[in-house]
Amino acid sequence: MNRILALLPWLLALALLAVLPQVLTVKYYLHLSILALIWVIVAQGQNLIQGFTGYVSIVQAGFMGIGAYGSTLMGLNFQWPLWATMIMAPLITALFALATGYPSLRVKGHYFAIVTLAFNLIIVIVLVNYSELTKGEAGISNIPKPWGGNREAFYYLALVLAASLTLLAALIARSRVGEILLAIRQNEDLVAALGIAAWKYKLFAFVISAMYAGLGGALYAHFQGFINPEIFGVAQSLDAILAVILGGSGTIAGPAIGAFLVVFLPELLRFADSFRLILYGLILVLATIFMPIGIVGIAKAAFARIIRREVRHGG
Amino acid sequence: MLIEILQQTINGLAIGGVYVLIALGLTTVFGILGIAHFAHGSISMFGGYLTYFLATSQGLPVLAAIPVALVAGILLGMLVEILAYRPVRNANHINAFIVALGLTMMVEGINLQLFGHEQVVIPTGLSRVFRLGGITVPELRLYVIVAAIVLVVAMMIFVERTKTGQAIRAVAENRDAAILMGVNVRTIPLIVFGMSTALGVAAGIMVGALFAIAPGIGEGLVVKGFAVLILGGLGSFPGAILGGTVLGITESIAAGFISSAYKDVIAFVVMILVLLIRPQGLLGRAP
Repeated sequence: MNRILALLPWLLALALLAVLPQVLTVKYYLHLSILALIWVIVAQGQNLIQGFTGYVSIVQAGFMGIGAYGSTLMGLNFQWPLWATMIMAPLITALFALATGYPSLRVKGHYFAIVTLAFNLIIVIVLVNYSELTKGEAGISNIPKPWGGNREAFYYLALVLAASLTLLAALIARSRVGEILLAIRQNEDLVAALGIAAWKYKLFAFVISAMYAGLGGALYAHFQGFINPEIFGVAQSLDAILAVILGGSGTIAGPAIGAFLVVFLPELLRFADSFRLILYGLILVLATIFMPIGIVGIAKAAFARIIRREVRHGG
Repeated sequence: MLIEILQQTINGLAIGGVYVLIALGLTTVFGILGIAHFAHGSISMFGGYLTYFLATSQGLPVLAAIPVALVAGILLGMLVEILAYRPVRNANHINAFIVALGLTMMVEGINLQLFGHEQVVIPTGLSRVFRLGGITVPELRLYVIVAAIVLVVAMMIFVERTKTGQAIRAVAENRDAAILMGVNVRTIPLIVFGMSTALGVAAGIMVGALFAIAPGIGEGLVVKGFAVLILGGLGSFPGAILGGTVLGITESIAAGFISSAYKDVIAFVVMILVLLIRPQGLLGRAP
């Protein structure tokens, strides 16, 4: 009974998202919803390394860039079909993550954050300067879109992928691997003392999180039809971190909610025009000070309080 | 070849001076308060912009605009400590980092709002060039190097020789013991933020005079600052000074001999290599 009850909000949310394209009259909101679903994938990846393992990585957008450019360039240069390049994108990203994760995971805390941030900067610099391949700052346009650019079809593709990858993240979190990742977050020395090679699990979390980003990047490229290096900069990596924090770090629903927030919040603040950046920053600061456990954390606490009251009154 | 290396070393010393000033601010805040103060670069650029504004639209002489900007920097740093970082003092360190990211957005937004998108150069009027053998040294670069050295020495004297400096070091060493010894741990963070921000503003002014200030420059600078901390060892003053100088010269030589487009990549690769070989940094204490 309890398990079904716990699944209920998920099924409701999924049903709501499934009918969304039918009720949305403004095309632009459909566009934003697709972006939000792509960001759900990216944020779920970020949550694996940041939320569960406790390592704040600032290279998620860089990995998105590798997926986006990887898929686009393979299609452009080898004439591979779109589906093949989109499947290859996370695999290529995984190779990059292996190469960068191995050295950077040897350090912890702020060191790790800054090293990954440096990797993001390196990725952008190479994308800008290796213009024979990437067309530099101007970017690549006319990237092929599936179904001739049918938005509604793309929406359902993004929804299916976001939902299944959220499920996969939940399965990882509940597995033995997930337990070890949580243990690493709480006390890495203790994990090592138990004879568990923590680095393998950290690298696993980092590579999987990068694969999520790589797929998200490929989806982004084939949805927008245009990419340039700026899209995959540090600012977007910060958005991934924000999505996790605002939604609720180390929860499964948190990154999904946070992803919608980081896509829609700047749009809602559009009325503020040039003050938007200031407001966005202010919301972030206030949210961290006054609700550090995120929306999901607050909801859970409120729910627990109601249950307790029920129990007290009922029994 | 040798002349060219010497030339690039001199060039690198000026930019290295900027890195040292930024890194000293970051390392003080990190060493004493444990905060990765990511907004430091954007706030430093605010100081640079303010100097430009005072020196152009307000018609102040640059030498009069600089102290005004420095004082504004001290006050701004204290304000940031009280309003943004103090509320998350006892929370997880990641929270302070997220607050720092939000602050960065706010300050970048404020800079855009007040000073616009255009890149600006602080007009110093210093255009003489000294020649020494085959090496040319622009007057401005020389003054920047001298000013950086003066500021570093002043800060070292303040931290090492004064009563307040002693209290700051005591808090860095052992917070609880410092409280028991009667150190006021509410004013120490204020002083630390004021001092760090003043050093940052000085660096921002140097960037504005040597190169240009534009949106986004501050973020690049703070990342370099953190790279310096990693090179030198987090929380170590001598490490920040050595790391900043090494990074400035490495970058300059890399730009001159390898590729100016990839100079930042080379700087970061050096940082990552140091981290792999000596995770505690060049002068950091083993954990």
